[in-house]
Amino acid sequence: MFILTDLLVLGCINGIMVVGLNLQYGYSGLLNFAFYTYVAVGAYISGVLTLGPSTTPGVTYILGAHLPWPVALLLGGVAAAILGAVIFSFTVRRLRSDYLAIVTVAAAFIFWNIINSDVNLFNGANGIFNVPYITGNADLSTEQYSLIILALAAVVLAACVWLSRRIFRSPFGRLLRAIREDEDVAAAFGRTIWQSQLWMYIVGCFMAGLAGGIFVFYITAWSPSAFLPLESFFLLAALIIGGSGNYWGAMLGAFIVIEGLNELSRYTPTFGRPELAGAFRALVIGVVLILVLRFRPEGIFPERWLDWYGRKTRAAAAARWHPANWTLHREEPSKVGKP
Amino acid sequence: MTVFLHAVGFGLATSAILALAAVAVSLQVSVTNFINFAYGDFMTFGAYIAWQLDVKGVNIVLAIVIAGAATGLLGVVANLIVFRPFMRRKVRPVTLLIAGVGLSFIVQNLIVIIWGAEPKRLVQTLGTSVQVGPFLFTTGDLIMICTAIVFLVLLHVTFKYTKFGKSLRATSNNIELAQACGIDSERIISITWFIAGIFTAVAGVGLVLEETTLSPTTGFNELFIIFGAVILGGLGRPYGAMLGALIVGVLTEVAGQYMNAAYKTSIAFAFVIVLLLFRPQGLFAAKGKTS
Repeated sequence: MFILTDLLVLGCINGIMVVGLNLQYGYSGLLNFAFYTYVAVGAYISGVLTLGPSTTPGVTYILGAHLPWPVALLLGGVAAAILGAVIFSFTVRRLRSDYLAIVTVAAAFIFWNIINSDVNLFNGANGIFNVPYITGNADLSTEQYSLIILALAAVVLAACVWLSRRIFRSPFGRLLRAIREDEDVAAAFGRTIWQSQLWMYIVGCFMAGLAGGIFVFYITAWSPSAFLPLESFFLLAALIIGGSGNYWGAMLGAFIVIEGLNELSRYTPTFGRPELAGAFRALVIGVVLILVLRFRPEGIFPERWLDWYGRKTRAAAAARWHPANWTLHREEPSKVGKP
Repeated sequence: MTVFLHAVGFGLATSAILALAAVAVSLQVSVTNFINFAYGDFMTFGAYIAWQLDVKGVNIVLAIVIAGAATGLLGVVANLIVFRPFMRRKVRPVTLLIAGVGLSFIVQNLIVIIWGAEPKRLVQTLGTSVQVGPFLFTTGDLIMICTAIVFLVLLHVTFKYTKFGKSLRATSNNIELAQACGIDSERIISITWFIAGIFTAVAGVGLVLEETTLSPTTGFNELFIIFGAVILGGLGRPYGAMLGALIVGVLTEVAGQYMNAAYKTSIAFAFVIVLLLFRPQGLFAAKGKTS
């Protein structure tokens, strides 16, 4: 039973991450190989803000405070969003896609190296630990606590998907798709490309920060070994396999690729050398990624499966083009098709 | 001053390795016009083959030759199976980039499956120090520098004076026009992958000799420094890449000498970022390749 809730919690957390990445890569076409860095920022900030000032000798970190967990969670998201905005304005605005990819990976490596080597920031390689349970009392069993976190993660995931859906159907979402397909055309229609992309970048990073915060509340510890730069590649692979641009596809990718391959295999019997299982699943992800790119580049759930306009807008559009409304003079709007 | 000069000396040895790898990347970019993220893992692959043969008692020179051929074949196969279908469909460069990431997963984890994840320690057999002018080299460094020079000169001669070199330059310059002139550009691209593979394997062996350990992520960790050298020289310009490698190699070693050693690679990465932000076309941009 615990296995199931554990898998579901991790699935929801990874779902939030991939849905956030979808806003950046799927909606706006911004390649981000440093996505997990923002997750880490959210996790560290949320962690230290609930952990309180360090009392253990030899454990040093900044910003220790006893904030209520919802505030800490939100601040974690905000910190990730601010970092995202800063990095965006330095890099995304001026680089083309392949250079952007290199710069994001390099930035992720530097960030990781600094966190890992500097013990004063977040306790270096040992990381932060003993983050208190968000329920306050520590006498909960692991299973009960995982159920509480599952509820939290599911609610946040639902909110993220809802927001993605709203953005997708809004005029702003259509503008983003236009920019992704052809920047020059969108610019020719008087849109400011970087402004629209910046918003998506910030919202995506915010979701990453939230996911990191929930993650650290769940596992109650965070260290550099938890956010190796490689993780971002897995998230991107999950998004592309699931269907980039489609929030259902993003969730599917998170559950299939990251859950099905990464987390589930912790519970399957091991075979051979200990590192073999991990190597096999990364190998499988690589093969599947290339096969999907080759034979189904739109992913398992393509973007075109989504309802672009929603029922109401579509009904209004249908009414507008209904033959009963065909007039030469358009002064009087017709009532056909409306209640 | 002595410390500085010694650092420059180390830098030269690093640059030699970097130059081989950077030229390989640049050569491939010049004909295919996309950046291959699996390159670091090709280096690791070559190094592992050479290490395996060396352990089995094969002569080291022969081992490197076989490793070069194997890595070259890996490049050709990767091109045929993974990249060529995409290039025929004329997909966006981002797709090729991500396909490269997938290939990197595959190669790196095949290495883990075959040889295991734990790092292999090498016994440094080429360790005696030699004073050359103001610099202090190990014999291994000297051999590496000489090898790099020989390879680069050979490449230059091939480029300049053979029919293949001419076709390669034509393909790199304008692939459609080259095809119109009867050049079999797909054959040229395959051969380029093979040559790049040989260079990559030699660079991989050099890297391992320098670091004295070999692990499945050895090459991947070096990848972005190589990209830095390539971009500094101008993407798709093999000669520029040599100079880029020289600058990046010496710079990281000298900077590493005066700073916390933990931040040595970070300096190289920061350099790559600054370079891309302020001079993405490199020192000598190739016309028509990238911007």
